[in-house]
Amino acid sequence: MNYSRADLTQTDATMNQMRNSVYELARFMGKNGVADLKVKLRKMGENIGKTYIRYWKPTDQVNISNLKDVITTIYQKILNSSVSIEIVETEKLIKVQDQKCALCKYQYDDVEIAGCEIIIGMVSEIINLINKEARDVSSVSINPFEVAESRAYGNKVCIQIYKYKIGGRS
Amino acid sequence: MGAFQWLMKKITKVFGHSTNALFYTLLYREILKEINEITKKEEDSLVILKEIGKRSGYESCERHSSIFKFMPGSPKKILEYFEILWVVVFGKELDDYSYEEIFKEDSKYNDYILKISKCPICAGYGQDNEDTFDFSKTKKEKTEGLACGLSGMLESVANYILKLKRNDYRIQIIEQTCMARGGDSLQFICKIHDYKQWKELLDSKDQEKDTLNAYFGERLEEEIVQETKLDIFDKLQDVISIDKLEEYLDEPLETLKERISDIIRDKLNMEPDQFFDYFRNYEEDMVRIIGYLGIHLLNEYGGILERSLKNEWFAKVFGYLFKQIKETVLLFIPLDVIRDYNELLVNFLEGLAPIEMVDNIKTFTGKDTINLLFEGAQMALENLGIEFTELKENVWEELKKEREDGLISSESSAADKTRERVPQIINIFQEMLMIITDILTLPIRVLISESHYGLKTAINSVISEEEGLYGSIKDRFDRIFDQIEEIRK
Repeated sequence: MNYSRADLTQTDATMNQMRNSVYELARFMGKNGVADLKVKLRKMGENIGKTYIRYWKPTDQVNISNLKDVITTIYQKILNSSVSIEIVETEKLIKVQDQKCALCKYQYDDVEIAGCEIIIGMVSEIINLINKEARDVSSVSINPFEVAESRAYGNKVCIQIYKYKIGGRS
Repeated sequence: MGAFQWLMKKITKVFGHSTNALFYTLLYREILKEINEITKKEEDSLVILKEIGKRSGYESCERHSSIFKFMPGSPKKILEYFEILWVVVFGKELDDYSYEEIFKEDSKYNDYILKISKCPICAGYGQDNEDTFDFSKTKKEKTEGLACGLSGMLESVANYILKLKRNDYRIQIIEQTCMARGGDSLQFICKIHDYKQWKELLDSKDQEKDTLNAYFGERLEEEIVQETKLDIFDKLQDVISIDKLEEYLDEPLETLKERISDIIRDKLNMEPDQFFDYFRNYEEDMVRIIGYLGIHLLNEYGGILERSLKNEWFAKVFGYLFKQIKETVLLFIPLDVIRDYNELLVNFLEGLAPIEMVDNIKTFTGKDTINLLFEGAQMALENLGIEFTELKENVWEELKKEREDGLISSESSAADKTRERVPQIINIFQEMLMIITDILTLPIRVLISESHYGLKTAINSVISEEEGLYGSIKDRFDRIFDQIEEIRK
């Protein structure tokens, strides 16, 4: 009897080679004429989120009061990352600073994309799917906005930015 | 499980970056899907996934080549250590597996078939809507399965080690059965080829070459490392690889002396007494060098110590720990034990070193020896980044000072994180002190048991491997690694 996907949520795997594989994939895509890598990587993240939520979710509803905690929990449980989060209410932005991003560690001269794009796609999808089930007016929806800084771009930390909206899709 | 296997698994697990295994598996799936979006041919996609696995494994090896310096260099041994490779590449224990040796006529090495009953890559594949890569479209018999990227990584790591160890053999790892394709297990066949056969094999795969050329433009080329001038560590490495740890533990002092003599003769082309004669009248320096080399040798295993000490905070903690041990070592070790250590050194050198040198060492008190060893070790630690002159009286003063200076963030979350780590750090201190205490009882056991049961008996304390000194130290290191993993989370 093989492992189930639920079993896998209980264990860890080392990312070193998989992280390298993401950048190898980016090279491969670039060589084969894929223009918008960012969209592709975010879509990969969304797909991961869609499957993942069937086996684990941090809570049954996300609103502005628990938003930071939910994001912290997702990063901690799925990516083993301790992040710091800032919510900029005026611009409706969520800034997540990750010092040990699971998908970014080295800067490559020949790749101009950050593995974080996958992460922001996944986290947004997980939160939106939780709230899709909840259907509450106080629910928050978030969308990937940008990877402002990344270790893959030569920065010291990764700063991933999401745009949020209360009560529906942002 | 052997000491080497245990150590490698612990080190690679603690120092790799881990995520949840389901995230790993789903990311792997998405990579395959994206490849297939481009090729639109499932069989080509699997060939490319394997190539990506090879390239990413190779990149990791290049970045951490020093760790692999101490892996076993024989293809046969590498297969025996497949369990470690699995952990190195996949970061997960290999729960349930068996292997079968397939006799190969006219060949130095046989083939191996590895059967793994649980495959994390295939776990639950096909049950979710996003599992869109369709294996039913793969018709060719020789097409590998979902774990082909993993087999590429494994092959690349195995061959990197062989290349690093200047071995002319290479390993081909092929996924034979795949659970996502309906197999009852994950099965790899590992074939060992000499370099000429290996090159011919690569050149003969026309179709695979065409696929890779079409999508990548080039294949990952592997060159034989040219025989260059080797340093003393490279020369000694063949003999002192930590995979031989178990062999050393099995042998008593006299055999160990014989072995050291052989190493000196074989690798340095001189007689042992000639070698030790270099240190005659510099016996104090020789003992300091032992302490100095001990630390550097420890660091050779992946440069972990040096890298850890680059972190200013860790360097300080380590410095305080070292100072504490240096100051207290003579308080909690009975003088008899120290004398035993000295006697052990003298016993070891008798017959290896010139008589005059042995006589000089006999004049050392146990306290002298310990102090000299610590002086040497401190010099090495200074080299590796500990600023002993900047350390305070104790670690608590250091913490207080940093708070006043604002070097440790006053932000509550940072302080909370630090506080959360304190119990783990204290546990690590405690376990390390206990290990040292355990080890310090060794010479008495060695000298008493040498004439009876040898070094292994001393280490295992005539009870059992698990309950003896070796077992005790292993347990303590297990706990230390667990605490480090907790801190890293």
